[in-house]
Amino acid sequence: MLQIKPILSTLMRNKSGPILLLIQIILSVAIVANASFIISERLTLMDRESGTAEEQVFDFRLYSFDKNIDLESQIQRDIRAIRDLPGVIDASTTSMVPLSGGGWSSGYTVGSSEETAKDTENTAVYYGDEHMINTLGVELIEGRNFYEEEVLTGSPDLATHGIVSKAFAKATWGDDTAIGKTMYAGDFGNMPIKVVGVVDKLQGAWVNSDSLDNSVILNIKLVNVFTKVLVRAEVGTLAQLKQEITTTLLKDNRNRVVERFTLISEHRKRVYRNHELMATVLSMMVILLLLITSLGLAGMVMFNIERRTKQIGTRRALGAKKRDIISFFLVENYIICVVGGVIGGLVAVQLGQQLMSVYSLPKLELIYPIATVAGLIVLTTIAVILPARKAANISPAIATRSV
Amino acid sequence: MFFYYLDLAWRSIKKTPFLSLLMVLAISIGIGITITTLNVYQLMSENPAGDRSDNLIAVQLWSQDKDAWKEFNAQLTYQDAYNLRKSDVPTRQTAMFVTGLAVQTEDPDFVPLLESVRVTDSDFFNMFSVPFIYGKAWDKSVDTEAVYQVVINEALNQQLFAGEDSIGKTLYLDSKPYQIVGVTKTWSPSPLYYDITTGAFKDSAQIFVPFSLAPIEEFQSWGNNQSWKRQSINSYSERLSSEMHWIQYWVEVQDDTQRDEYAQWLKRYVEQQQLLGRFDSPEAAAKLSNVEQWLEINEVVPEDNKILVGLSGLFLLVCLVNMLGLLLAKFLKRAPEVGVRRAIGASRAQIFFQHMVEVGLIGFGGGLLGLLWAWGSLSMLSAHFDLEDALTQLDLTMWVLAPTIAIAAALIAGVYPAWRICSTNPSVHLKSQ
Amino acid sequence: MLSMKNISKVFQTDLVETHALRDFNLEVQEGEFVAVTGPSGSGKTTFLNIAGLLEGFTHGDYFLDGVNISNLNDNKSATIRNEKIGFIFQGFNLIPDLNLAENVEVPLRYRGFNAAERKRRVQHALEQVGLAARMKHLPSQLSGGQQQRVAIARALAGEPRFLLADEPTGNLDSMMARQVMELLENINKAGTTIIMVTHDAELARRAQRNIQIVDGQVCDFTMYQGGARQQGMGTKADKPHLVTDADKPSDESEQAQTEQAAS
Repeated sequence: MLQIKPILSTLMRNKSGPILLLIQIILSVAIVANASFIISERLTLMDRESGTAEEQVFDFRLYSFDKNIDLESQIQRDIRAIRDLPGVIDASTTSMVPLSGGGWSSGYTVGSSEETAKDTENTAVYYGDEHMINTLGVELIEGRNFYEEEVLTGSPDLATHGIVSKAFAKATWGDDTAIGKTMYAGDFGNMPIKVVGVVDKLQGAWVNSDSLDNSVILNIKLVNVFTKVLVRAEVGTLAQLKQEITTTLLKDNRNRVVERFTLISEHRKRVYRNHELMATVLSMMVILLLLITSLGLAGMVMFNIERRTKQIGTRRALGAKKRDIISFFLVENYIICVVGGVIGGLVAVQLGQQLMSVYSLPKLELIYPIATVAGLIVLTTIAVILPARKAANISPAIATRSV
Repeated sequence: MFFYYLDLAWRSIKKTPFLSLLMVLAISIGIGITITTLNVYQLMSENPAGDRSDNLIAVQLWSQDKDAWKEFNAQLTYQDAYNLRKSDVPTRQTAMFVTGLAVQTEDPDFVPLLESVRVTDSDFFNMFSVPFIYGKAWDKSVDTEAVYQVVINEALNQQLFAGEDSIGKTLYLDSKPYQIVGVTKTWSPSPLYYDITTGAFKDSAQIFVPFSLAPIEEFQSWGNNQSWKRQSINSYSERLSSEMHWIQYWVEVQDDTQRDEYAQWLKRYVEQQQLLGRFDSPEAAAKLSNVEQWLEINEVVPEDNKILVGLSGLFLLVCLVNMLGLLLAKFLKRAPEVGVRRAIGASRAQIFFQHMVEVGLIGFGGGLLGLLWAWGSLSMLSAHFDLEDALTQLDLTMWVLAPTIAIAAALIAGVYPAWRICSTNPSVHLKSQ
Repeated sequence: MLSMKNISKVFQTDLVETHALRDFNLEVQEGEFVAVTGPSGSGKTTFLNIAGLLEGFTHGDYFLDGVNISNLNDNKSATIRNEKIGFIFQGFNLIPDLNLAENVEVPLRYRGFNAAERKRRVQHALEQVGLAARMKHLPSQLSGGQQQRVAIARALAGEPRFLLADEPTGNLDSMMARQVMELLENINKAGTTIIMVTHDAELARRAQRNIQIVDGQVCDFTMYQGGARQQGMGTKADKPHLVTDADKPSDESEQAQTEQAAS
């Protein structure tokens, strides 16, 4: 027995209370829908894999300020010494570190003739040797690794061979195989680079870039006073290796600085920090908002019950069951929830549109306001039932008491 | 009368502790969230240049070819910076970039430190109002005739020289001896407006060396290096003559006239470069921005923060609507008592104020509690996310702002319920209960 | 003291217009004790509300102590209520959260007396009703008769010229009712004008003058002269029952208003 008509007339008679609840629900739906949409979008972003063994791979930087050494052979020696340390799986110099937020990127020229040549999408560029793939822990799915004799030492311009990520291969050559293709570091015909392998997945350094999954590895050991070294080691050995690597390298030559040992998983944490922060703050907001809305609702129901004690008693005296009293309050709540939900959903979509046009947010998916309304109905049911059960216990005798 | 109302308000709050707590909680959470996001926003959007904002001008040049970048780059090429330094129009000017150098002292046991170093001109210190404890900037002549001199900050001076006057002492940077000419006081504008290319909320460099040393010492650039042109750069001299953008450039002007004059000068510079075959784009031009505009165009305040401030504003609104509903219920329940007071001689205005005082008291409580939430959530966020201190300190203005917003918000929410209760016909509630 | 000429009060609801008072005329002299009787729904309460400046009226003139009440703003009427009128209600209407002294103090607060003056008057008023010793008690700790005496003390504290009592003994047993009635008579003897609305014919007889309101008008009034006119009053007492049904709309409109105000 849903007494919608008497409930509606009660609602219409006491306008201000229900209207306030309605406004509150409209706003809540609008905020919660958009906030949870942004949260899930951020969580999806953060969930993307870099393709590397993030818990095993760390990098550090090595700054040699001794001008009187042969830097090339020094770096060779250093890398070999690091590879020999216990716990180390592999090591390589690199131009950049995945997810670190800093590094090299470039576009290349591809095509079969000067006329049809075009630029590729921007891609992260890793310079390294035949140990690079194993060091990063990426999976080679096509072609081959660099041969040791292919790897050159010195300037980036010397690169001749490349290994590309699947995403880059797909974006550049479509379904065609990338193996054997040539891309040019300069204009068409200049500085050709032959693709010899494809790795399944390797992300670049900038997580907010559209081309995060585009990356290439080129066959160059960089020689620079400032060098980044990638090391892959057994999980949990970083603290110890940090000591050992520093000692080993400084024993060889004191005139340098060895610092900033960082696991890729730590880079990940830092580079996604703002997204995580946003998701955290918004989650806090959503939880608190739902809490406040349901507490407020419970408070209002309690007041309504006190105010209507006599009316409820009269209803009970006239034969209403406890169930009827609870359902009276529930139906009242559902009417407000559904009306508020529909309007709130529209406001949410509108708010989403605004956010989309002003900020770089994607379009709000409809499922979010719908889920929010559904969640709100469940939550408010609890918020109503708890005090309403008290109302149902009002004695029918109260109707006959007092004037 | 105010204290009487305050007394009544306190009794009323004590009489319905659950409901009052609910209201204080509602408003405090709203305030807490708002203050948290507002605090971060405020710290990010601060203009640290203060009243010098209009005098300090960042220079950008559209030097790229017509099919290259579609906007001004934040930095200049070395060759443009080198040429701009020759202008005598601005009162002061500086080219700069950031590098890293290994720091050693004369103590052979000192373990070398890798420190970030700002490579800049002598005007830098006056332009950006850098305070000194000891000494001063290197002489202006050093900007053209390179001398191995260095300015360090208070923290490094403390670390290396135990905080004593180190003027004249020698500091080794990459094994080269530099003479210390100045020690700056701790100084770190936030945002770090003079160089936002690698993040606007970092600490200022500890060491400053003359820009004129760059071609000699071949300082590496630790900042952004962006090229629109494919050039192979294999040596420092190739870098200096390349089209790579990596130098920040600022000038100081006294007024708009001087600024216009400098704009004219730059216009002629662009034309002159076009004759030399550079600036090959119809959009080739110079752009000047004061500090405020500079923070704006570089979007120093991230979008996320603006969204958060907006959403938390809406959140506060929900809290207010919530409170309004509870207040209405609470006040109207008290209608009989109000009826008695009215009959006994209280005017509508007196009843209204009595209730507004109560609402204000709840708002005040909510504001204080909200401040506590904000402080808690900021410390929690800062600890959990390792945020820069510059962004998570509870700004002083918030101590005033939080209770003010809370009371104002509560009063706004209270107006309708208080009006309803004071305009109720008293006689209705006087008949026996 | 009190002069009402051709007062009418119309309640307007969506459907019906109800005349709660029509062409109501009444003069009360200073120092009088007037009892107002009448069946429920006759307009007694409306009369009391208008007399006490709790409600406005639609037409007519009302002078209280020489002041024209017709177009006073809220502030001025609040001041008059505060300074010249004391109210006593059937339900006592003490504020449950305040102790006796604080209850009595309420009108003095609104009057702006300083703390010393308030204290003196509260003390004096409670002494008059014999409850000075229980100053710190809460209303709920007292019997009904005691509560009503506190309410009277509250009405007296402002030293009003004029007391309005609405069924002051309605909720009391006969012994307490007698006490309260004696208290009112003493107050009247001390010079305060009293208008008392009551159902109780016996109580009404103790007043100097009786007024009966029927159907929104003064139907009859009797000077207290022993038993002479009692018989006549008795016959008239039946008549109001006949009009009760006709008056129903007035009751309902009041109820509707209550509902609205409580929402």
